Amino acid sequence: MGKNTLNNAASASSGNSKAGILRNPYLRYIIFGVVICLLPLLAKSGIMPSSFLVNLGGVIIYSVVALGLNLLLGYSGLISLGTAGFMGMGAYISGYLTESVELPFLLALFIAIIVAAVIGILVGFVSLRVAGIYLAIATLCVSEILRKTFEELDQFTNGFSGLTASYPSFFGHTLSREATFILLTVILVLIMMLTHNLVNGQMGRALHAMRGSEVAAQAMGINLLKYRLTVFAIATAYAALGGALYMHFIKFSYPSTWIMMLSLNILAVVVIGGLRSIYGTVIGALIVFAVPDLILKRIPVIGKIDGIAYIFTGVLIILVIMFYPNGVVGIGRDIKRLFGRGKTKNEKKEGADHV
Amino acid sequence: MSTFLQVVLRSLETGGVYALAALGIIIIFRTSNITHFAQGSMGMFNTFVVATLVTSMEMPLWLATICGICTAIVLGCLVDFVIIRRTKKVSPVAKQIITLGLIMVFVGLAPMLFGVDPLKLPRFIESGVLNIAGAHLTYNGLFNIVLGIVLMLILFYVLQKTKMGIAIRTTASNEPVARLMGVPTRNVTLFAWALAACLGCLAGVMIAPTTSVTPNVMDSVQVNALIACVLGGFQTFYGPILGAYIIAVGTNLLTLYVSSVWGGQLMYLLVLLFIVFRPQGLVGKKLIKKV
Amino acid sequence: MSDSNHVTGTLAEDQVLNITDLSIQFGGLKAVEGLSFYVKEKEIFGLIGPNGAGKTTAFNCITQFYHPDRGEVLFRTRDNKVVNLVGRPVHSIIRLGLVRTFQNVEVIKELSLIDNVLIGAHTDFKSTIFEQALRLPRARREEREMRVKAEKALEFMGIADLKDAPAGGQPYGVLKKVEMARTLMAEPKLIILDEPAAGLNDSETADLAETIRRIRDTYNCTILLVEHDMRLVMNICDRICAISFGQFLACGTPSEIQANKQVQEAYLGEEDPE
Repeated sequence: MGKNTLNNAASASSGNSKAGILRNPYLRYIIFGVVICLLPLLAKSGIMPSSFLVNLGGVIIYSVVALGLNLLLGYSGLISLGTAGFMGMGAYISGYLTESVELPFLLALFIAIIVAAVIGILVGFVSLRVAGIYLAIATLCVSEILRKTFEELDQFTNGFSGLTASYPSFFGHTLSREATFILLTVILVLIMMLTHNLVNGQMGRALHAMRGSEVAAQAMGINLLKYRLTVFAIATAYAALGGALYMHFIKFSYPSTWIMMLSLNILAVVVIGGLRSIYGTVIGALIVFAVPDLILKRIPVIGKIDGIAYIFTGVLIILVIMFYPNGVVGIGRDIKRLFGRGKTKNEKKEGADHV
Repeated sequence: MSTFLQVVLRSLETGGVYALAALGIIIIFRTSNITHFAQGSMGMFNTFVVATLVTSMEMPLWLATICGICTAIVLGCLVDFVIIRRTKKVSPVAKQIITLGLIMVFVGLAPMLFGVDPLKLPRFIESGVLNIAGAHLTYNGLFNIVLGIVLMLILFYVLQKTKMGIAIRTTASNEPVARLMGVPTRNVTLFAWALAACLGCLAGVMIAPTTSVTPNVMDSVQVNALIACVLGGFQTFYGPILGAYIIAVGTNLLTLYVSSVWGGQLMYLLVLLFIVFRPQGLVGKKLIKKV
Repeated sequence: MSDSNHVTGTLAEDQVLNITDLSIQFGGLKAVEGLSFYVKEKEIFGLIGPNGAGKTTAFNCITQFYHPDRGEVLFRTRDNKVVNLVGRPVHSIIRLGLVRTFQNVEVIKELSLIDNVLIGAHTDFKSTIFEQALRLPRARREEREMRVKAEKALEFMGIADLKDAPAGGQPYGVLKKVEMARTLMAEPKLIILDEPAAGLNDSETADLAETIRRIRDTYNCTILLVEHDMRLVMNICDRICAISFGQFLACGTPSEIQANKQVQEAYLGEEDPE
């Protein structure tokens, strides 16, 4: 996101005069979305197996969720282990509201997000006043509480048998799988733009300042608790949104889906993809949620090993933190630098900073 | 009265398990400045070793446990040697993420090495029930209570009296100074990781007979041990132990008298509310932040 | 020598800051004990003392990073209201018109110079998170206005041409200027500079003295200098307060301070007050 800041600063002040069309970050997000929207066509024409579409839809959903976590971890250095729990909450709330109460899809989505954000603020308020690490432990507890809730409140969640929902419907018209996929893409692009705006405005600067020095940030009038809470609330809201989208794309929700291992996978997305990088997050989601299913499991011998996906992701997290703290998104820049087209050593210094 | 006594006795047993796991977490926290989220998963892995030895090789439980402790030591040392030692310059948050990555590795390795079927682990003492004022306590329960307390007493003796214990405590209070004063902090962290792994393994072997050995066997132990550290405070070694027993008693009482379903969850909420009013935990001083 | 140090509860017309009986101790160590002094409007005031005298502690007590055990810190805000700063949250201080710099410059390496300066205007943004996320008109207008203001501040410091360069890798002198430009964004009534001359050579220090005077004159504010470097202090300060071992030694004009026996003793063997 750092790079975008510069572009943005330039476009805001110099009226975007000499910058080419691709320098506009919003246009790039839109082009990115359009390219993804072409995938259902590939599936329809048989070039790509149509089962891939479900996997890739999952990648999009997890990208949305991980963007929220990236704000939290990348800018505030806070870990949430409740991501899966909040996703589950979004899924069950929107699933219950659309199927049993028969509310419109968008309204159910909205309620799910608000409820999750409010609970997020409460949890954050309790834990963030103490120390950063307490958020991880508190969210771990919350995810345990939520998991139990999903199992026990079976009049809402249908317990272990799982809740089912249909594809989203607008004004009585239910979308097809391909149309839902396109809806997911549109939402992802919107969330990317929203996140871009947040990190490049006053809040983004405040978060940067807090990351640099909490003392200096406070002296500049930045209320640490307020911004930590805000970021955590945004992360939970994104998680709930992702959960609700999952409910209406995968169409099933079981308590066993929303376990801590999913939270860890989403954390892995952020770490592996690249902290504070919007595109990195999407790449990370592709690596964590598509590579094991689409590639690893097709390799003979290795693919047969149980738990290979977890081992792959876990080892990757550790390796990235130890040797490549900027995440996979930094690879392109590093290759460029290797071939001498890159920037000066200033940028290298800047890149060496992590978490 | 007898139900109450029953609850207390059972809490002493589970509290001991939580306390052992929490001790592992706190020792790592104090010596390496890492919140060790993988304590439970490493315990789970070694419990699988023990269970596999017992079921496939028909080894007696005590011998299998000793073998499990050996693999725990090797594993703990490996984690420190291969990963933790090489991350000196990494921020504390990143180190925590490493332990989260370790969870994934161990949860992934367990089915790969030990198969996907849950394993059964026998008790140390299979039969026999003690009757204390109307409350029942199995011999195995008594054994676990005593084992937990004895282990902790040994550990505190080690921490207070032995050279290694003093080295650990110095490292815990100020790592850079300890290093300058010639304390072998590298050996201290190595020892701490091995010790934590052992404690996790023992906690696993004690808790596993009540359920079956699966990748999730230690999940609740992990959460309760972390909560015990929060409740007891991260600043002393005995605070988390106190926290562990309080949580065990509290959970069991809440389960018995308030809600049989939500007891554990209510306890989590209570602890979270508690830190609003006393952030430093039961035992611990307020720290002044230096500007 | 001043004798109006013991006025409590009120702030004379021409004063912007009045500290009375400020005391704080850390575990029995009296870091600052019964310190009192005042700063007049439009003044360049120096707070000096040998190493470990409690300058930084005193100044952290003023900006509320530490909450003093005893004493009052009366401050005239930018709305000309008199408030006691003691007990207020740290992040609320800047809004009153009191802003500080840091001894070891605190700029964000990943951000451009102008974005760093914009952090100083943090409390002036009125648009909500939602307005910012959606780039609604008010958020856009504010961002534009603040950018113009920040450009002016950078221009004032003479580094406007670098505004879009990332702060990481800029020379130390530039970063110091960025930090000063940042304080200007807050429309300060009082700027506290924490050892601004640290790490600067003679010509840079002379340059700095000039800049400090210009800031005072152009932005109509008061400057409190916490400084070790006697050259700078003696050169530009209107009045100086000297402390030692957390206690008040003397207050007066540079020449008075130089002639003061106690101050000379306090500095003896520490540093020659020139």
